[in-house]
Amino acid sequence: MSDNNSILELSFAMGETLLVNGAEISRVQETMERVAKSFHADAFNVYVISNAIFANGVENGVKHTTQLKHFPNTAIHFGRISAVNQLSREIAAGKHSVKESFRILENIKGLPYSPLPLAVLACGVGSAAFSYLFGGSPFDALTAFLCGLVLELYLHFTSTHSLSKFLTNLSASAFVTLCSVLLVLCGLGNNIDKVIIGSIIRLVPGVALTTSIRDFFNGDYLSGTIRMIDAVLVGGCIAVGVGVVIRLMSIITGGMPL
Amino acid sequence: MISWSVLLNWLFQTGVAFIATIAFAIIFHTPRKEYVFAGITGGAGWLVYLASMGFGADTVIASFFASVALAWLSRIFSFARREPVTIFLICGIFPIVPGAGIYYTGYHFFMSDNSLALSKGLETIKIAIAIALGIGIVLSLPRFFFTLRRTTACKKGASS
Repeated sequence: MSDNNSILELSFAMGETLLVNGAEISRVQETMERVAKSFHADAFNVYVISNAIFANGVENGVKHTTQLKHFPNTAIHFGRISAVNQLSREIAAGKHSVKESFRILENIKGLPYSPLPLAVLACGVGSAAFSYLFGGSPFDALTAFLCGLVLELYLHFTSTHSLSKFLTNLSASAFVTLCSVLLVLCGLGNNIDKVIIGSIIRLVPGVALTTSIRDFFNGDYLSGTIRMIDAVLVGGCIAVGVGVVIRLMSIITGGMPL
Repeated sequence: MISWSVLLNWLFQTGVAFIATIAFAIIFHTPRKEYVFAGITGGAGWLVYLASMGFGADTVIASFFASVALAWLSRIFSFARREPVTIFLICGIFPIVPGAGIYYTGYHFFMSDNSLALSKGLETIKIAIAIALGIGIVLSLPRFFFTLRRTTACKKGASS
């Protein structure tokens, strides 16, 4: 990859990195255009939607490049978005050659994810904090903490087994609800609703909602719609997962108020 | 007016929101040096939410004000730190995303309490719209609202 010298390839690779790691459409488009312009590509056109990039350009007078690609699923990694943002600003300032930029981009693509124990702990702490914020007692927060730990482990498990997004959210919310109900029935925590609200916050489609809003207000209605549907579907999945388990448990325990 | 104990409670909750936001910053692999700023964004959003509720606003209005506050702060940080707005905004938005609404909708829906399910579902959608409006308005404002220092910094398109 390091001997690659094509401006359009570079621009395309940067756009791909941004999109895959969860940037909004206008940022991808602007970054790609900025890079192509900074290196004086003869012509460059790009169209981006939430899961594909369509770009063509003229390089060295004769070379026409057209590429399109489909990215099936995305995982959020703000570190990489931030790094690509930095790189594109440096390119615009004329600090890097194309080759150098490719090398830096390779490093960016290799930026590590947070280690699993840290992510698990963060999920637990986040769940506990939200359980408390939504009116739970410190005792509820403790239970939510445990559920959060288990949830992140479960999510890690499903991501390594490439479960579909739909099924992941449905099963994860059902799973975490089951954990909460069982823990509360064992006497840990007093308000089951607060425990569950804290525990599912990791699944709530905050990223999809926010990115969708940003796309809409930037005029990218197609991508905004796609992500809005995504947010609504994920929210629906969570509601179904939680509801089914609660209903089942209330039947099993004989109408016990949950 | 507002008593000291209420104020202390607000401050404590803001601290909890701060920690919660940092937890989400870790989950989304935010660069380590931005943790604190993401945390401040989330804490401020929650503080505004609490204050609005304290002054008698309902959940939807409070969510609107909170999202305006945190979008504003995200843009300020984005210029000051030269980072994409997304980083601060998404981490900070989590305290006001209607997780409780989703839960109660599902709960009442499956407990066959249709009218409550409907009203909770509608409330959830209203909150989502309020957040959308708040963020959208602030993000559409021109740049000069957010440049705390050096105006040259934003000439490079320091991300918006």
